[in-house]
Amino acid sequence: MSKRTSLLVAGLLLGVAACGGGGQAAEPKSGSDTPAKGGTLTILSNQDFSHLDPTRNWTMPQMDFGIRLLYRTLTTFKAEPGAKASEIVPDLATDLGTPTEGGKVWTFTLKDGVKYEDGTPVKAQDIKYNVERSFAPELPGGPNYAQLYLAGGEDYKGPLKGKHLDSIQTPDDKTIVFTLKRPVAEFSYTVTLPTFAPVPESKEAGAQYDNRPFSSGPYKIEIYDRGKEMVLVRNEHWDPATDTVRKAYPDRIVVKQGLRQTVIDDRLIDSRGEDSAAISYSDASAASLAKVLPKPEVKARLVSEISGCTDMLGFNTSKAPFDDPKMRQAVHFALDKQAMQTAGGGPGMTEIATSYLPPAMSGGQKQDVYQLPPNGDVEKAKALLGGKTLDVGLTISTGDKALGEAAQASLKRAGINLTLNPVDPSVFYDTIGDTAKTPDMFTYGWCPDYPSGATFLPLLFDGRTIVEKGNSGNVWQFKDDAVQKRIDEIQAMTDTAAAQQAWIDLDKQVMQLSPAVPFSWDRKPLLIGKDVTGAFGHPVWSGQLDFAVLGVTQK
Amino acid sequence: MTALAPPAAAPVAAAGRSPSRLVWERLRRDRAARFGLIVVALFVLIALSAPLLTKLNGWSPYDFDPTAIDKELAGVPKGALGGISAEHWLGVEPVSGRDIFSRIVYGARISLLISALATVVSVLLGTTFGLLAGYFGGWVDAAISRVMDLLMSFPSLIFMIALISVIPDGDRVTLLVCIMGGFGWPYIGRIVRGQAITVKHREYVEAARVGGAMGGGLLFREILPNITAPILVYATLSIPANIGTEAALSFLGVGVRPPTASWGQMIQESMLWYEVDPMYFIVPGLCLFLTVLAFTLLGDALRDAIDPKGARR
Amino acid sequence: MTLYLLRRLGAVAAILLVICAVTFVIFYVVPSDPAVQACGKTCTPERVAEVRAQMGLDRPVWEQFGAYVVGIFAGRTLAAGVECGFPCLGFSYQNSLPVWDLLIDRLGTSVSLAIGAAALWLVIGLSVGVISALRRGSALDRTLMVTTLTSASLPVYFVAMLLLLFAVRVTGLLPYPAYVELTEDPVAWASNLILPWVTLAALYAAMYARLSRAQMIETMAEPYIRTARAKGLHERTVVTKHGMRAAVTPIVTIFGMDLGGLLAGAMITETVFGLPGIGRLAYDGIVKADQPVILGTTLLAAFFIVLANLLVDLVYAVIDPRVRYS
Repeated sequence: MSKRTSLLVAGLLLGVAACGGGGQAAEPKSGSDTPAKGGTLTILSNQDFSHLDPTRNWTMPQMDFGIRLLYRTLTTFKAEPGAKASEIVPDLATDLGTPTEGGKVWTFTLKDGVKYEDGTPVKAQDIKYNVERSFAPELPGGPNYAQLYLAGGEDYKGPLKGKHLDSIQTPDDKTIVFTLKRPVAEFSYTVTLPTFAPVPESKEAGAQYDNRPFSSGPYKIEIYDRGKEMVLVRNEHWDPATDTVRKAYPDRIVVKQGLRQTVIDDRLIDSRGEDSAAISYSDASAASLAKVLPKPEVKARLVSEISGCTDMLGFNTSKAPFDDPKMRQAVHFALDKQAMQTAGGGPGMTEIATSYLPPAMSGGQKQDVYQLPPNGDVEKAKALLGGKTLDVGLTISTGDKALGEAAQASLKRAGINLTLNPVDPSVFYDTIGDTAKTPDMFTYGWCPDYPSGATFLPLLFDGRTIVEKGNSGNVWQFKDDAVQKRIDEIQAMTDTAAAQQAWIDLDKQVMQLSPAVPFSWDRKPLLIGKDVTGAFGHPVWSGQLDFAVLGVTQK
Repeated sequence: MTALAPPAAAPVAAAGRSPSRLVWERLRRDRAARFGLIVVALFVLIALSAPLLTKLNGWSPYDFDPTAIDKELAGVPKGALGGISAEHWLGVEPVSGRDIFSRIVYGARISLLISALATVVSVLLGTTFGLLAGYFGGWVDAAISRVMDLLMSFPSLIFMIALISVIPDGDRVTLLVCIMGGFGWPYIGRIVRGQAITVKHREYVEAARVGGAMGGGLLFREILPNITAPILVYATLSIPANIGTEAALSFLGVGVRPPTASWGQMIQESMLWYEVDPMYFIVPGLCLFLTVLAFTLLGDALRDAIDPKGARR
Repeated sequence: MTLYLLRRLGAVAAILLVICAVTFVIFYVVPSDPAVQACGKTCTPERVAEVRAQMGLDRPVWEQFGAYVVGIFAGRTLAAGVECGFPCLGFSYQNSLPVWDLLIDRLGTSVSLAIGAAALWLVIGLSVGVISALRRGSALDRTLMVTTLTSASLPVYFVAMLLLLFAVRVTGLLPYPAYVELTEDPVAWASNLILPWVTLAALYAAMYARLSRAQMIETMAEPYIRTARAKGLHERTVVTKHGMRAAVTPIVTIFGMDLGGLLAGAMITETVFGLPGIGRLAYDGIVKADQPVILGTTLLAAFFIVLANLLVDLVYAVIDPRVRYS
């Protein structure tokens, strides 16, 4: 399941899903109950970080890693499991920001005593500078919120050529004022993103900054040998009194990169020697789960928080045969979601999805429009096809072969013949995001932001958001006037409860048109060693362990 | 290039018996060769009769069997030894529950087909270009030799993977055959070129030339039959090498398109499960091993039989 | 001799240039667009265009290629104003490090792997081969030959997995392989590399044993060996001085090529054992469509292979007096 390592978590990763009654909040798993300072925590990973430069850090696990260990942002999420994880607290700022002009102007004041790894104080200008960096084409890949929200950002090309953005003002070293294009009520959430971490202009290194971000967090980089190893040591100038979230228990954190996933899993199952103070950065493989589940001692060391994402089979609705809703529905009926569930790791790891919105976002209730048996309804599918057979292609990422084969086998029952096209993860999103090349069918996942249908349905199903290349969100090129009209109406609602219900109803409406078939809501399986304390999956970071509070038992 | 002359073939024919008959008799007397021949024949037979065999056990290689796996336990096959039962003779794949016997017999088709075809491609290319280079000499030889040097200097595995990733929609079997054949031919090309140079100056070829035989006809009528022996040996030994390459490419994720079964792909999948479900790993591994072994034995024996000077027993 | 060497070096350069060009063109037509990838998740077409210009990908392919080749020798300034000094192989798209530095960094692993494995397989392979040849037809010969044949027929990863299973998982004799620098801790370096060494050596030793046996048998049947024996030389002298010297000649060729290939990265072995070598770098480059890395690793690999060929031919002159350079 390699897709979950990076780009799957598409879209606006800003808020959180696991809220309400649906999420099973995991208790922190730990070998000992009193966390203590000291020791070395080892993180075993099958990959290198793609970007740790705060301007460019926008994929899931490394956002968690960067924000919790290396840099601080204006506000941040609480380090607590379950529903509380979606609450934000001030981090570098003294409060959650003061909106004026109806939410168009936001002012933040920095705390006293926040320092970089060299002891110099964090200044408001440094945050301004980093936000400006996110406009630079030399530093692509990061969150695009600043570009979307800040006034005058349209023609700005970043600070590397000496130009600055007027819509961010720093009247003194402690105050930063953002002027936005339009009111943004949830801007306090926006500034949790690494874009809003400080980078002093004197430390600018262009693309090379990625290899040695200057720390404002509890740890600094001692060694970073890309693809092999990273060693973090304490940032002595980080003052715990200024930080309510990060506990920084271990003295050292060592990241071992480029290991085989099965080797990582085996090491953690054994949990011998220094591996007892190790955790996995990447998902345990399905085969390893078969080793873990029968052993209660090991199973207790498996953290599997729900990721809050919905996995879907998408259609290219712009051309035959899937421009016809009946053909799409036929796939919906024919799909054996139970087989997909097995391919995804079984009931322990994934739940069968019956709607686009995960249960946490539909009031804790699973909503089920079609009421299908888990194996699908082949007869109904055949009826919808009207005696026809379909020959279509399904493009999958190479890591999702098992899912692709399960879909293929189950659709064949209804006379829908799939040709599988496994492509490298690197090419996958390019292919489906290019409207000229979008395949007939493909797999796609979406993770919500803060618990609102507003971060889900408009991004996925509003036909006005489609772009020709690099298309994301509405990758099915789905255009429906009624749906678009309804989206506008709901977005204009002021009553949040009514809006929430309206999103749920819209979900049903779109399900009937079936531009995509949701098939699973999954969990993120991560193994930890015997001596690791405070491990829980943080729902904001799609179930990744929260690095802020991990510790190692002292012997 | 060094001035070291390539070793000359020595097709020695004993009086009264044709060389091919002689070779055959030598092969028949060789126990290792007999073993190799039987195993190869067996697997070829299995590959050819795959549809019949799967009719016998009743499972297509693509059918999922959810009842044979434990869904609660990440999809491990139910029962001992990877789910071996009267229903599934060699057990089932984890997660999908597909029948391993059916996938093995269909996988034999793909693995043998790809490696045999790739060998055919490299033998055809290698023989043609090797003959041309050796016979005509001069700039033809220089050009062909440089191309061969170039291809042999390519880090072929990196290149094969890269090339296959570049063409994601192509027919994988054709692509694999072309790429493996395309990178393999210089090895045989060199041998043929060397042989052709030697044979060219033999009396009977000179005689044919004096007798008015033209270039092309002479090449294929007079020279080719005299160098079939080393080509045959090379081809036999290159089949197992190609089987290995196909498996390696599958292992690195660029094999045939799923759900098509090939041994390499099965081994690649099974490696994740080698501890939980060792049978899944052992069955295709053993088939691959036996086939490679058999072809190697056969090739060795063939070489000894054709050129008894080498490793006379 | 000097002229010959110069000519050969010229050919080496030409081959590398052609390989470079072919690789360049192939990756120019690759379906993934590095600019789109670098740009990230939600990216407007205008921003993609900016990023493309930034990466220098908006220029025609021949111009990019020219700049690349010139850059190798003279260094160059990239679009962002970043200096890329000699020898410039560009910067990785993935981590913006100079490809040259990445190659140098990973080379240590591949060299450790190749040299250790080569030493192992040469010693084992040649001794098995020679012993077998001298005891031809004996039970020992048969056993050794069956063993080597089996070992040569097993796929690399099969052996690797079995070794991992028994030496690490079941018995816990060895640690899980993780590369440690030789300079850091020689003992850990060796104990972490034992499994990869054995894996590779198992394959190559088998091939070398078979080869050297055949060569040895052939050589010992030569008339000059008979002459040497007739002269009353001690059998040991006959075998070591006359027999082995001649038998080893063709093995040098193959050894050179094999070692050249391995220095360029043992992709499968490095992948299975998670060793950060050149092969692994190349593989990751391909998976992530990191073209500068793919080009760099391909060139380095080709360089080793071509160089090995050249060295082999030169070494020939030393050990085989029949060879003369024309």
